[in-house]
Amino acid sequence: MQLEKFYYDNKIVRSFAYATVLWGVVGMLAGLWVAVEFYFPGATLNYPGTTFGRLRPIHTNAVIFAFVGNCIFTGVYYSLQRLCKARMFSDLLSKIHFWGWQTIIVLAAATLFFGITTGKEYAELEWPIDILITLIWVVFGINMFGTIIKRRESHIYVAIWFYIATWITVAMLHIVNSIEIPVNLFKSYSWYAGVQDALVQWWYGHNAVAFFLTTPILGLMYYFLPKAANRPVYSYRLSIIHFWALIFIYIWAGPHHLLYTALPDWAQSLGVVFSVMLIAPSWGGMLNGLFTLRGAWDKVREDPVLKFFVVAVTCYGMSTFEGPMLSLKNVNAIAHFTDWIIGHVHIGGLGWNGFMAFGMLYFLIPKLFNTPLYSKKLATNHFWLGTIGIVLYAIPMYWAGFTQSLMWKQFTEEGSLQYPFLETVTQIIPMYITRSIGGALYLVGVFFMVYNLYKTVKQGSFIGDEAAEAAPLEKAKSHAKEYWHRVIERRPMQMLVLSLIVVLIGGLIELIPTFLVKSNIPTIASVKPYTPLELQGRDIYIREGCYTCHSQMIRPFRDEVKRYGEYSKAGEFVYDHPFQWGSKRTGPDLAREGGKNPDSWHFLHMFDPRQTSDKSIMPRYPWLYQNDLDVSTTPGKIRAMQTLGVPYEKGYDQIANNDLATQAKTIADGLKTDSKVKQLMTIEGIGNPEKKEIVALIAYLQRIGKDIKAERKSTNVQASLK
Amino acid sequence: MKKICRAGMIAFILGSSVPAMAQGPKPESSLNNPLALTLVVIITALALIIGLLAVVVYGAAEVELKKQQSQKSNTGAVLTILALLIATTAGAQGSAPATTAAVSDNVGGLSSSTYYILMVVLVVEIAAIFFLLFQLRFLLGAAKAKVTQADKTEEAAVEYKPAKPQLNWWDKFNKFRPVEKEADIDLGHNYDGIRELDNRLPPWWLYGFYFTIIFAAVYLYRAHVSHAAPSSAEEYKIAVASAEAQLAERLKDQKNRVDENTVVLVTDKTELDKGKTVFMSNCKVCHGALGQGIVGPNLTDDYWIHGGNIKDLFKTIKYGYPEKGMQSWKEQLSPVEIADVASYIKSLRGTNPPGAKEKQGELYVENGGSTPADSTGAAKADSTKAAK
Repeated sequence: MQLEKFYYDNKIVRSFAYATVLWGVVGMLAGLWVAVEFYFPGATLNYPGTTFGRLRPIHTNAVIFAFVGNCIFTGVYYSLQRLCKARMFSDLLSKIHFWGWQTIIVLAAATLFFGITTGKEYAELEWPIDILITLIWVVFGINMFGTIIKRRESHIYVAIWFYIATWITVAMLHIVNSIEIPVNLFKSYSWYAGVQDALVQWWYGHNAVAFFLTTPILGLMYYFLPKAANRPVYSYRLSIIHFWALIFIYIWAGPHHLLYTALPDWAQSLGVVFSVMLIAPSWGGMLNGLFTLRGAWDKVREDPVLKFFVVAVTCYGMSTFEGPMLSLKNVNAIAHFTDWIIGHVHIGGLGWNGFMAFGMLYFLIPKLFNTPLYSKKLATNHFWLGTIGIVLYAIPMYWAGFTQSLMWKQFTEEGSLQYPFLETVTQIIPMYITRSIGGALYLVGVFFMVYNLYKTVKQGSFIGDEAAEAAPLEKAKSHAKEYWHRVIERRPMQMLVLSLIVVLIGGLIELIPTFLVKSNIPTIASVKPYTPLELQGRDIYIREGCYTCHSQMIRPFRDEVKRYGEYSKAGEFVYDHPFQWGSKRTGPDLAREGGKNPDSWHFLHMFDPRQTSDKSIMPRYPWLYQNDLDVSTTPGKIRAMQTLGVPYEKGYDQIANNDLATQAKTIADGLKTDSKVKQLMTIEGIGNPEKKEIVALIAYLQRIGKDIKAERKSTNVQASLK
Repeated sequence: MKKICRAGMIAFILGSSVPAMAQGPKPESSLNNPLALTLVVIITALALIIGLLAVVVYGAAEVELKKQQSQKSNTGAVLTILALLIATTAGAQGSAPATTAAVSDNVGGLSSSTYYILMVVLVVEIAAIFFLLFQLRFLLGAAKAKVTQADKTEEAAVEYKPAKPQLNWWDKFNKFRPVEKEADIDLGHNYDGIRELDNRLPPWWLYGFYFTIIFAAVYLYRAHVSHAAPSSAEEYKIAVASAEAQLAERLKDQKNRVDENTVVLVTDKTELDKGKTVFMSNCKVCHGALGQGIVGPNLTDDYWIHGGNIKDLFKTIKYGYPEKGMQSWKEQLSPVEIADVASYIKSLRGTNPPGAKEKQGELYVENGGSTPADSTGAAKADSTKAAK
């Protein structure tokens, strides 16, 4: 057989690698910034774009989709060509993919900075960007499958199975979760409401972890780890079993983010048991990675690349054991809404994703530039800084989470709560400080890497098109006696379809009943749609990212009911497009905020939280007192809501702004009767508060969770007093 | 050692760990109890250690056994799984009585039966760990002896040299194939230079996987078929019922029962300090740390919107005036706490804090008939008199 000569495209790999480094630094800087805001509220600079609510989505999107995203593409474009013995299908598509993805990132950063967000965690980007993501993802898919199809290797290697599953599942998750109805170019409402929106969102959110942060990285591990160690993969049959089990089970586990919420119990239970069953498939990946190093452990002592991989895979094992434990309801009752979860995700993020990325870059850049790494010693120092950084990050977060949770739940002998919320926050400030030191160390390590890679690039000479040869693919002979899985490995399209079927099962079984079976969301007659002013206020709430610190979900625990009021019911959220249950309680829950504090309190509080609550770590929102509420969007918003089935009367969009003005006037008049508020208005020169955004926000806050109280009052006065 | 013995041992071990897991769906009031939580966490951790050790011992025992018997171990595996099943169901049933345990005696806030059950589980677990460690030492010792013996014969020496004796159990535990022999299981795949071996699945991994699947089945059965495990809402009801029972017990004591008709002003320092704590936790957000008033009115002057009598204050705090921004605190605070904080507020009279809010409401004159005084001393004296 005549060998064919061809060239691997290294230029695209280099581009993605540079982007990985750049966005890694940006994303981690944003992370460090928000970490400092926890103990130094002034770090927001009183500027909207740098408050936690807006910077946190920038941080998460940057590290997940920009840093890890580019890292995945770097690894895929490098390994896929070599595993298929073929150049990428199309250089043009590669370029479109690269520039398209970077455009998405820049647009994402810019829109989030200006508060343009859907308010759904990890899916904050507005609809035009969602569409762009879909297009670029399709480009990536065509390019990938084109390459696989024109391969010169009869079977596809396990790394590529993971790439295929990643591609199809991410496509499915992104499209289903991003279905939204546009109001204008910068604003849309989620198609789903309340409980259903929550289920779809966490089905997406959990599997973003699964299929963006796990499966593609496992694919990279299966290529780069055996390459760097020069050892055979430990077990082919373990690869098969853990691959299929992983993608099948992962998709079911989303509801474990919603334990003890208003999500139906059966869905919560499915989330629990599938999370527990997920331990073994996850650990299968870890074992296959670590056992591949059998006989090469002496190299680990020498080679920084392997050092990074070993810690990465170990962190993967740790967080995939911890995850299922956190999914047990009794552990979740302690950990959820606390910093424990933040610690957990950063073991995965800093340890698994970060260290895999660094190991890969230290391996790749010298290869691309045909030179040894500039300094092994510097890389080893990076490794140790990073490891210490992770430890200093994680331990304080576990500590903080546990402490705060126990404080929340502590009752006095008299049967009242021992600690006011704020005290549970100030208690853990030292832990926040330590955490940011850990993060800073990790980032310093990254700067070491940037310098090291820069020097390596300088000393080497880039091979843009790397020559290779391989025999063309033979027509498949009859493989009657072949192992069944080997057959699939020759048919990438079948593998794609099979993966899709496997990931569809769990999703469909959980989603469809929640949407179709009425009893899952018992309706509450007194729950009414938001007034136009409240709706506008809700959009400000979403814009400012209040959900990143405040939950709106009271769980059926004695302490939460005592602290916040009656626990949340599924029927209360039927008009919430999108749901705003949140996932973290840096501030108190707001699910029953309505009527709890007077309007005047909110007015003073939002202007400077430390005026009303000494030691509060909430940022100031002075711009809400300057900005006029944009009422031109009201009719469009009402119409969009009507399309989604919210029962506003026909033609209400035309008169909605009248109601809005009336309600704003009432609130503003009430505010003016308070002397402290009047004093603030005079100092700040706020002449017409009824026009300002703050009034809309107050209207919304005073509405949250109130409807159900009205129902209680009408049915049973005694009960309402309880 | 007999197979049944081994299976039985594993069943016993799992039997002891499963009740620990069964604590999960049974949190009731103990869920809020730090002691219970700590114990459950320790129990779970120990159970994990036991599980791990059990597999190690099992592996080591198997090595030993293979040398003694030539029988295949299929029946053993079946027995193990059977035993596992029995253990899980037994555990599930075993936890039921614990749920209905009496709430009377307390150990660190836990019902004594719960406490003792947890402690017994702990002790049993620790015993099990020691037992397993002992077994392991015994087995390893046996293996070591074999190795040193084997070293004497030449061929065996060649076979054993590269691997250290301690590695033996680890290798067996994972069903490792010696690195030198891996050519036998090389599948001949070559992807860009990456070869693939076909090592068997690590047995502990595989059995762990089976275990989680069985756990899932039992969990779903208990939660949704037999309803042995309470739902979230039921857990809440249980927790509230037990807390209410405790509070009712407390309220039997006359001094814990106070309402707007029976409340009297107290001047006792300890009671006022308690009142101050309550004030700082709950009231200062609106009324200021010094009672100077922020959005809520000034509490240090002689002007009151809803009455300045101690009984009026009690009523205002208890029921609130929600439409005016004052919330009801009767769900958050106990009657005694309300009484304490009301008295504390009265003690603030005339302190003239900086930044005090302007007067709101009506002038209130204490029963004693004294006129509003700026002097703190005079004000205090008046209030004491009014307390009768």
